[in-house]
Amino acid sequence: MSVVSSAQHTHIPNPHNHIAVIGGGPTGSFFSLFALRMAKMIGREVEITIYEPKDFSKDGPGGCNRCGGIISELLVQTLAVEGINLPNSVVRKGINSYKLHTDYGSVFISTPSLERTIATVYRGGGPRGIIGHDKESFDNFLLSLALEEGAVHRPVRIDSVERKNGKMVLFSRNSQVTEADLVVGAFGVNSTAGKMFTSLGFGYTEPPTVNAAIAELHMPEKVIAELFGNSIHLFLLPDRGIKFAALIPKGSYVTLCILGRKVDSHTVGTFLQRPVVRTVLPETLGYDVVCNCLPKMNIGAPKKPFTDSIVMGGDAGSTRLFKDGLGAAYIMGKAIAKTVIFEGTSWKDFQRCYYPIYRGIKQDNLFGRILYTVIDQYRSSKILTRAMLKTVESEQNRGADDRLLSTILWDMFTGNERYRNVFLKSLKPKMHLDMWEGVFSSLGRR
Amino acid sequence: MKDSELGRAFADGDVIFREGEKGETMYVIQSGRVKIKKHSESGEITLATLTNGDIFGEMALFDRMPRSATAVASGNATILSIDKKKLFTTISRDPTMVFKVLETMSQRIRMLDEELSRLKKTREHLLQTCCDVEETCEMILQEAKKTIAAENGSVMLCDSDNTLDIKAAFGGKSTQLMKLKVGEGIAGDVLSTGRSEMLNNVSTDGRYKKGSTKIISMLCAPLKCDNRVFGVINLSNTSERLFLLEDLRMLNSLAVYASIAVKNALNYAELRVAADSVLKQAILVT
Repeated sequence: MSVVSSAQHTHIPNPHNHIAVIGGGPTGSFFSLFALRMAKMIGREVEITIYEPKDFSKDGPGGCNRCGGIISELLVQTLAVEGINLPNSVVRKGINSYKLHTDYGSVFISTPSLERTIATVYRGGGPRGIIGHDKESFDNFLLSLALEEGAVHRPVRIDSVERKNGKMVLFSRNSQVTEADLVVGAFGVNSTAGKMFTSLGFGYTEPPTVNAAIAELHMPEKVIAELFGNSIHLFLLPDRGIKFAALIPKGSYVTLCILGRKVDSHTVGTFLQRPVVRTVLPETLGYDVVCNCLPKMNIGAPKKPFTDSIVMGGDAGSTRLFKDGLGAAYIMGKAIAKTVIFEGTSWKDFQRCYYPIYRGIKQDNLFGRILYTVIDQYRSSKILTRAMLKTVESEQNRGADDRLLSTILWDMFTGNERYRNVFLKSLKPKMHLDMWEGVFSSLGRR
Repeated sequence: MKDSELGRAFADGDVIFREGEKGETMYVIQSGRVKIKKHSESGEITLATLTNGDIFGEMALFDRMPRSATAVASGNATILSIDKKKLFTTISRDPTMVFKVLETMSQRIRMLDEELSRLKKTREHLLQTCCDVEETCEMILQEAKKTIAAENGSVMLCDSDNTLDIKAAFGGKSTQLMKLKVGEGIAGDVLSTGRSEMLNNVSTDGRYKKGSTKIISMLCAPLKCDNRVFGVINLSNTSERLFLLEDLRMLNSLAVYASIAVKNALNYAELRVAADSVLKQAILVT
């Protein structure tokens, strides 16, 4: 196995005919779809094989991709412009608003026209019984698009990768599966695939992770429609170690997603007993927690996500902090596709064309960390939480362009805007004046 | 609107945007149909009927001109809107995002080119000085047959007693004898509404008036000048062959030139009658 130092990097001539994609989730499918489209556009022949052992067309844990399953407004619109319209069979609920809950009150934040611009989906299998009856998972839908474009899917688990005579050789259970000119690592952080790339010695390390808690609550669809309408319920509570929690309606299920640095097997049970949660989900509802898990969540990025003929994307590379992982999968998958089709597959090509996008997400997450720190201060202070609620409430009577804090919270929690832009908005004096007004108003009430 | 649908719901006839308005949004159809209409001297013309997945309203975003046409929901439709500012910000980060929009726009230009060249030929034929009304109607049907695959066809004009009468026909013979009042049958209804129709299962339509030839599908477009409808062009199939939206669009375009040609022929006929009468009176006086 050769370790290629940066001094030895040489440009590998085009065309690269066989590309092996490890992982058939959104990053792998987006990469394959766009690479094949772009290759057709410039008349290049590329052969793409996606290695994914999971069957996303089946429900239950076998095909589950353990995710909150929210497609942001920006991604829904971007995909529509790209000609990828999310069909009714994939979308579980169209979302037009968020309801923000705190220990001191709740507030409703919506799109000005109440247009449903956010989609809730099941990434993979999801709870048993949800696939079929004209419904399919998002990952299956995307994979099908990639296959329609010409990619090939092989349900094989790749467990080893080696470099031999300038080619990448892929193995499964000690048998050689294929040779490829390029390997795209598009697996998640819950997969064991990361280890085979760390052992290749080009400097890749698996990204740092924290645990998230995800649970599926089952109740009659009619009850969910009455309780939730077309809103996602978001909880900003003063609990240490939990950044935020969300109840995401999806047909006859509600996905509970709790994100933070101290999430364990007791988190879901404790959360459901919180008085503010019981105002949304009273015990009289008789809902069932049909499944729950503690999947890992990427909160950082490896320093060296590529070398000659190897590139890592999606969760195996970098993703957006705490949200819009699917948006990041789209950005990274497409950035790799552009580099591979229009530039090449050498370290230099990835450094020049892919790295700026990769670094952009990494840097944007720095602004995200600052914003979450500010939000931590708000949610742990009764006065600041009340001031925030008061400001958002009063903004709902203003025009769409005059709802600064509501827009900041909407963009933060829907993943609609880059953290950097949200941060810049949060520096506007108008927002601080409104907040101080809210603080004085809360103190007055007190 | 279903719970799993994205975008905003529009009911039949709801205007999404109007011709002349400032365009700040592009749209993508999630379900249903949208008609793109343009106002002209001879009334409103349907330029296109768009369906699921089609984008519209993109022109005003890119050329910064007012909306070039009006978009109206045809039946219930759900439409996703895409804000100009957000779209351009995303494009500035990833210019390849416009590949699909460019593809759609170039397909539309290509289609328009083909249609223009077809219509140019049709126009040349139809606008040749043809003084005979029946002959003009016959010529219209010949042009219709060239561009749209149909088994039967007729051109019906409104008589002085407000009855639609067949002036030229091909295919099923029974239609030769049919006369329809305003509002009677599908053609009579098109005469009263001035809106073209495409029906791919006429038997389920309450307006359909049975003749001796059983037809399955039908296209019907009004002939009109200055918003006054004076006739219709009918095309129909007796077999299972269905008409496409593209056929309806072509018939609508053809109907614009056909209207001018028929109107010219009718005016010429009237003028000739008047001239004959003046000539007769002059002879009598002398």
